[in-house]
Formats: sequence, C-alpha cells, structure tokens
Amino acid sequence: MPEDTDWEVYKAPPKRTPVGERATSLPNPVEFFQAVFNNVIDRPVTLIREWIERQQNRNKFYYYHQQFRRVPDVSECVEGDYLCFFEAEAQWRRDRMVDREIVAIVRERFAACQHREGPNQFQNCAKEMEQLLQVTKAYQDKYGDLGAHGNARTCLMKQNTAGFILVSGVQTRYCMGQL
Amino acid sequence: MAARWLHRPAPGREGSAGAAAAPGATMAAALLLRAAAAWAARRAAGGAAGTARLLPPAAPARLPGTLAPVRHSSHGKRMFIIKATSFYDSRFLKLLRFYILLTGLPVAILITYVNIFIGEAELAEIPEGYVPDYWEYYKHPISRWIARYILDPPEKDYEKCMALLDVEAKKAEMRLMTLEARRLMRARGDGPWYHYETPDKNLTDDSFKSTPDN
Repeated sequence: MPEDTDWEVYKAPPKRTPVGERATSLPNPVEFFQAVFNNVIDRPVTLIREWIERQQNRNKFYYYHQQFRRVPDVSECVEGDYLCFFEAEAQWRRDRMVDREIVAIVRERFAACQHREGPNQFQNCAKEMEQLLQVTKAYQDKYGDLGAHGNARTCLMKQNTAGFILVSGVQTRYCMGQL
Repeated sequence: MAARWLHRPAPGREGSAGAAAAPGATMAAALLLRAAAAWAARRAAGGAAGTARLLPPAAPARLPGTLAPVRHSSHGKRMFIIKATSFYDSRFLKLLRFYILLTGLPVAILITYVNIFIGEAELAEIPEGYVPDYWEYYKHPISRWIARYILDPPEKDYEKCMALLDVEAKKAEMRLMTLEARRLMRARGDGPWYHYETPDKNLTDDSFKSTPDN
C-alpha cells in the first residue's frame, strides 16, 4: 500500500475566521452531528489504535536509510575494467532513483501549495513553481532522452553530445539573425 | 368389502365414483359405529381413572392409514420441488472455499498478529559508530524476517555478481589473446602452431635418385 502523506508537513496556516455571534437560541445541528461522530466513531477507533500502539511499544525496533560509499564514476573507468563499470552503473542507478524521488517531492510540494492557496496560487506559490521548474530542467538535462534502457554509459555519451547541440543551436540562431 | 374400503383410503377413489354409493353408505355407518365405540371406551376409561382427567388418553381415535390431523401451523404440506441439480455447483464452491481457506486463514491470522502486536519499525538516524545489519534497512517485520533468514545479504549478491563478471572478463581476455597469438604464429611461423614437424632432411637417402639411369 502506498504510504500515507505526513499531515504535519503540508499543514495549512491556521484559519483567521472570526468566531460568530449566536443569532438564535436553537442548538446548532452541526455540533450534534460532530458529537455523534466523535463518540460513535472517533473515540472507539482512537481507543483501539492506542491499545495497539501500547502493544507495539513494548519492544520497539528501528530501520535506517542505507548509506552507500561513493565509488569511481563511469568516466573514471578504464576500458575493459568490467568490475569498475558494474560498480559505477550501480551507483548511477541509485543516484537516478534518488533524483526521481527528489523531483516527486518537489512536485508534491507544489501541488500542496496549489491546493492550499486555491485562487491565489499564481502569486503565492511562485517559489515552489520556480523550484519545480529548476529541478525538472536539471532532471531533463541529465536523464532526459536516454529512454527506458538508459544506463551510465549512455548518460555519459549524452553529456558529450550535449555540448555540440548547444553550440549548433547557437550557430543556427546566429545565422537566422535572432541573437 | 366394507373393511377393504376402510383400510385403503386415497387412490382410485375418483375412478370408482359410480360404485361408491353403496359401499359409501356402509362406510359411513361403520365410521359412526367406530366413533361411538371410541367415545364409549373413553367414557369408561375416564370413569375408571376417577377424578384425574387432565390428559387425553394415549391412543386417540384415528382414521386408519392416517398419521395426524392436518393443522397448517408450520410450512404447509411437504413438497418435492423438481429443479436442476445444485450438487456439482455447491460441491465446487465448498471445495474452493476449503482449499483457499486452508492456507489463507493461517496466513491472514499470522499477518494480523504481526501487524497488531509487533508493528512496523520506526525510522531513525544511524547512530555514531554503529553499522546496522543488512536486514535493519527494512520497515515491515515480515520483510525484515525474510531478508534475514531467507534471502542472502545484498553484499553477498553484489560480490557474487562481480565474481561472475570477473571470470567472464578473464575468459574474454584469454580468448582475445589466443586469437592474437594464433594470428602472429600463422604470420611469422616461429611458434609451435601452424606447422607440422617434418623429419630431418639429412636422414633421407637420395642415393638411388642420384643418377638419372636408376
């Protein structure tokens, strides 16, 4: 099952609606339904959850994020040294997974900001939008057109050609007189 | 005649409606006599027993061939409803449920127990100077158990992969070297390959070919 989102991370700022004056002496039906929900559903569920957590807290154990040592990159491997290629490839794949997660997190932040702000998003979410643009551009530059079977070697080759494309782009624009 | 009609009630009665008149009258008379006899017997038994007349006598009077009067207090007459057999379908479903639940229930109970009483691990920073074991990088206790007792450590898998690659790399290198050696030996002719040993030419005796007239 996918992980639940952490409610504390994207907490909206507290609302500033003023407390209203009671205009009638009739009771508010919303309070009645809230009381029903709290007592019939919320309290039992909370009690059961707390009981379960007491059982689980009797012997706690932890998990960690694994730290991998850095190994020489593909560009530092001698041709024919297949072990070096293997380790560099593994490292490149791990880095790609990490980069994908980074892009996902930045995208999620922007989506949370949009949802929070609603119609004000274009003004108030400018920072998140800028960050998302930068991160996606960087991802595209590094892993962009490699395709599904991209590996460290094709990425290196792409870096070699990227310079040529940039230069030729400049040339064409100069020829067309737009620089 | 009258006795035979009395002892076999239902079938064929409508077929013999014309002949039913005379034996019907005798039958009615016989019924009346039997009812009177039963009433008299009851009265006599009631008189002999005395004051206690709470329960009815043990064998109440009945028409012959009947079991009990019809009361319609339960579901009516028992019917044999003719429909297609559900034996095969219900047998299949029973067997399906049995074989699915045979392993499904223990697995479900185990997973529920683990999730409630053992629970998932919490994320923590790696403490200073502590190297976690390879199974401590998983969150769910069953994943940790599988990683610890069933699967090999990922370092072992990595090293095995690298060993295979190393062997194959060395084999490829040896093959390339042999090809190069062959090429050179064929070209230069100074190696052990690509020639056959011939006997020493000093051992040949050409004396019988030395003059043209032999």
